[in-house]
Amino acid sequence: MYDFEYRRVGSIAEAQAALAGGSSSKLLAGGMSLLPVLKQRLARYDGIVDLGGIATLRGIHRDNADLVIGAMTTHATVAASALVAQSIPALAALAAGIGDPQVRNRGTLGGSVANADPAADYPAALLALDARIVTQRRVIAAEVFFRGLFETALEPGEIIQAVHFTLPQRAGYAKLRQSASRFALVGVFVTRTHAGVRVAVTGARDSVFRWREAEAALAADFRPAALARLALPSSGLNADIHASAEYRAHCVQIMAQRALAAALEPPS
Amino acid sequence: MDEIATDSRIGQPVRRKEDERLLTGKGCFSDDVNLPEQAYAVFVRSPHAHARIRSIDARAARAIAGVLAVLTGEELLADGLKPLPHVPFSMHPAEIRLANRDGTPLFSAPHYPLACDKVRFVGEALAVVVAASVAIAKDGAEQVAVDYEVLPAVVDTLAAAEPDAPRIWEHATSNVCLDADAGDRAATEAAFARAVHVVRFSTQVNRVTGVTMEPRAAVAQYDAARQRYTLYAGSGGAVRLKDDLATVLDIPAAQVRAVMRDIGGNFGTRGMIYPEFCVVAWAARRVGRPVKWTCERQEAFLADYQARDLAVQAELALDAQGNFLALRSSNVGNAGAHPTNFSPLQKGVEIMSSIYRMPCAFVRARAVLSNTSPTRPYRSAGRPEVMYVLERLIDLAARECDFDRIALRERNLLRQAELPYTNPFGMVYDSGDYHGAMAKALELGDWAGFPARREQARRRGKYRGIGVANYVDTASGVPRERAEISVHPQGRVSVVVGTVSNGQGHETSFAQLVNEWLGVALERVDIIAGDTDIVKVGGGTHSGRGMRLISIVVLNASRQIIDKGKRIAARLLESDPSRVRFDAGRFEVAEGGRAVTLFEVAAAAERLGDLPEDLRGPLTAFSDETVKEASFPYGAHVCEVEIDPELGAVEIVRYAAVDDAGRAVNPMIIHGQTHGGIVQGVGQALYENCYYDPRSGQLLAGSFMDYTMPRADHFPPFDTHISEVPSTTHPLGMRPAGEGGTTPALAVVINAIVDALAELGVRHVEMPATPERIWRAMRAAAGTASGNSSTPMPQAQ
Ligand SMILES: Cc1cc2nc3c(=O)[nH]c(=O)nc-3n(C[C@H](O)[C@H](O)[C@H](O)COP(=O)(O)OP(=O)(O)OC[C@H]3O[C@@H](n4cnc5c(N)ncnc54)[C@H](O)[C@@H]3O)c2cc1C
Repeated sequence: MYDFEYRRVGSIAEAQAALAGGSSSKLLAGGMSLLPVLKQRLARYDGIVDLGGIATLRGIHRDNADLVIGAMTTHATVAASALVAQSIPALAALAAGIGDPQVRNRGTLGGSVANADPAADYPAALLALDARIVTQRRVIAAEVFFRGLFETALEPGEIIQAVHFTLPQRAGYAKLRQSASRFALVGVFVTRTHAGVRVAVTGARDSVFRWREAEAALAADFRPAALARLALPSSGLNADIHASAEYRAHCVQIMAQRALAAALEPPS
Repeated sequence: MDEIATDSRIGQPVRRKEDERLLTGKGCFSDDVNLPEQAYAVFVRSPHAHARIRSIDARAARAIAGVLAVLTGEELLADGLKPLPHVPFSMHPAEIRLANRDGTPLFSAPHYPLACDKVRFVGEALAVVVAASVAIAKDGAEQVAVDYEVLPAVVDTLAAAEPDAPRIWEHATSNVCLDADAGDRAATEAAFARAVHVVRFSTQVNRVTGVTMEPRAAVAQYDAARQRYTLYAGSGGAVRLKDDLATVLDIPAAQVRAVMRDIGGNFGTRGMIYPEFCVVAWAARRVGRPVKWTCERQEAFLADYQARDLAVQAELALDAQGNFLALRSSNVGNAGAHPTNFSPLQKGVEIMSSIYRMPCAFVRARAVLSNTSPTRPYRSAGRPEVMYVLERLIDLAARECDFDRIALRERNLLRQAELPYTNPFGMVYDSGDYHGAMAKALELGDWAGFPARREQARRRGKYRGIGVANYVDTASGVPRERAEISVHPQGRVSVVVGTVSNGQGHETSFAQLVNEWLGVALERVDIIAGDTDIVKVGGGTHSGRGMRLISIVVLNASRQIIDKGKRIAARLLESDPSRVRFDAGRFEVAEGGRAVTLFEVAAAAERLGDLPEDLRGPLTAFSDETVKEASFPYGAHVCEVEIDPELGAVEIVRYAAVDDAGRAVNPMIIHGQTHGGIVQGVGQALYENCYYDPRSGQLLAGSFMDYTMPRADHFPPFDTHISEVPSTTHPLGMRPAGEGGTTPALAVVINAIVDALAELGVRHVEMPATPERIWRAMRAAAGTASGNSSTPMPQAQ
């Protein structure tokens, strides 16, 4: 770790001011992704601005048809929330399956979304649920938010405050874990809303994406059989020591079926 | 386990004394040692798998405030440091020797603590920065500019053995640094020629690393006035570490003191001196301050010694009834960048025929150098690999030649009456009930009930398979061990031994011996092992030698204490030594019932000036023994798996183990050892893999994000059973119990997986058997069977 100046701020305005200084500064949420990078000296910042003291960034509430989750809400809180379980149970299940208890107790929704890890779980939920990312400057649709490998639409100094999720009629998430890290080797989030069906895939490319063929098939027939004959082409999919592109393509198809099965389960 | 210890004697499942200390953060591991004024070392490590070091420019690093020294191979050679003293083979008298088939001497190459001419694997240390803090030392390390001439690299075992492979050591004629024959070639050829059945099996046993929970650390101090070094670092044993460090520093061993307290895992990969330990000691003298180094986890993945990595091509010959006729094999072990240790290869070859009746065998054993971290023995060195090969061959023989897997094993498994048995490599198995162990494992694993469970699994859409594997271990290691027992009048007994605990619970199980023989309560016994100012002799923890040898020397020393005690007690009780009996810590004269305690006797020995000379003074005794017999623990495991036909994901659903300990000193500790051993074996079979990129030689599985460790939720509860058929070559009947969990685990897991998929025509799945590998095996089999490539579903019946 290189030296940096640590600042814990109490409000968005303070955070903005801290970021605005001439030197390079970085926001800190749960630190689960940022701290390893700092420890290994893979990045160097003059200032670290800790969002942990901003109470308004934490919490979960309903806003008409939306479920709103504050950026600093931890995965463990989302996983345990009765409101989330009642509104979008698939989202609670997703949060419960992130990493391990330590990671879930520290890691946050905002940090995960801003980090845009290609194998992170939340991006699949955001894209499939047509979520809107609220910053101090604007509202960004998930569709245009995730741009590539660790790349988002956030501008310098932009702070995620909350994410708005549209309540779906049906939603399900299925994840095949990379055995070491427990990130998604592939994860598929399937939703049906008044606007249609969405199938979002994480872990398989440099960024989360919608599997349009599956969406079309499910729009016609929202049952596992509709997916049975589909195959995602493996070209362009991630290949690494954990899985080839071919195996990932196969798993996307299987995980889509399992996500759909979860979506079709009667609410418990 | 619901057994509760009723006392602390041999055979009782006594709770481990050390656990409260270790579990409440009160242990003292190497990194817990801090010395006044200590400086910190950070190593400059090679980013290349293979490169010539053209030059190193450390000026910028030296200019940083707080940097005390930057030392490179050049300074190291100038200061006269010597290469690490590797002992390439186990020299135990009971074991076979491997020598080059063409009679040439064994290849050797100097392994200096810092790379001097070339770097030979990613992560090899070539310089050290010593600074006032770790952060400053890291700043310095970043500023050390190394001019590398990058060379082609080779990491794969068989590729490295090719004559035109990039040469790791220029003075070698090829990377094959050992090429030995073992067994009887002519007899084996003849047996194959008349065989009715021959089964063949080729495999590459994956490379894994020890992943000790406590990463390595070292703190060294140099006392200039006394010209003496003290090194605090965890290892297998203090005496060996002291001697080896003295060799590297080229000084008399008396000028070195090695100290180690708690050690968070060894498994063999940590059993030897490491380059960093030498550098830290040398640096302490150079900078005139204590120097500390703590290995980071990613550094551990790169620079810890690694293990296994064996390419095997084996054949088994059988007659029409299924009697084994001969075994023939080519075993190529990947030694890594330095020829440090070939004993896994040696130990694998010499018991490759396991505990089966094998009239003859022949193995060509080669070791090959490559651009990877050097390999060393790792929990059950060499044996899990060959047990896996042989047990796979047996399952393949059963499948391909239409024998029942169990009947085939029973037919060939040695019977008790055939022991002692000399195997085709010349190893003599002393004793044991091999058939009993397998029968018990099949019973615990409910082999008979398996078909019904398979049917149930089928209804749930899963493939279910079961496997069995027998095994034998060779426990040998350094044959000499010493114990010195002192009875202190204040009410304590100290036992100085040369074998430190790496987590095995010695403080408890060794103390149980003292409780058994001297009647002293466990809390009053101090086991002292990790300081060479106190411990003079001892081989360290490896090769199942801890309890096996310690029990012998502690028994001998205890007997001497009792004999001396009787003579002193006779004085105190005004009786004759022959009439004094010792029982439960008391010396008593039978007729009058008068008695004195062991501690009263110790006090008298120190107080009474007129005792004969050999009784006067502290009540102590020592025993120093060289034990020439090896030991052959054995057992059988049964494993059951379920496979998800869509993803290829495998789940272990049942696991039963029978391991023979001869005589169990603390069954609870043994069960714990078996559990951990099974997990390490399964880790290799299903998850772990030191994956080096074949082109760049980069270690791609270099952190816990990429190197998969087995976890608690991967396993069902284990059903482990300790068999106690006394060993005929150990005075107390004991067999080591620390490695049995691992030895058959690779075999039994893969056998179970292949059994699950056998109906599809799957013949084998390589380790680690990842979901993708299993999925591919299923697809390939389906492709051959029916010409289409969709994943088949198990058929519900
Ligand atoms: C062992 C391990 C396993 C994991 N497994 C999974 C898994 O299975 N699935 C998964 O999805 N993730 C996984 N993660 C990642 C985890 O979810 C992280 O918590 C998450 O990616 C980052 O969240 P954080 O709160 O820790 O953010 P930090 O690490 O603090 O920050 C991450 C990045 O986001 C930026 N940032 C943080 N908050 C904001 C904000 N409000 N506005 C703008 N930018 C912001 C930071 O500047 C930084 O660049 C794992 C992590 C670890 C260490």
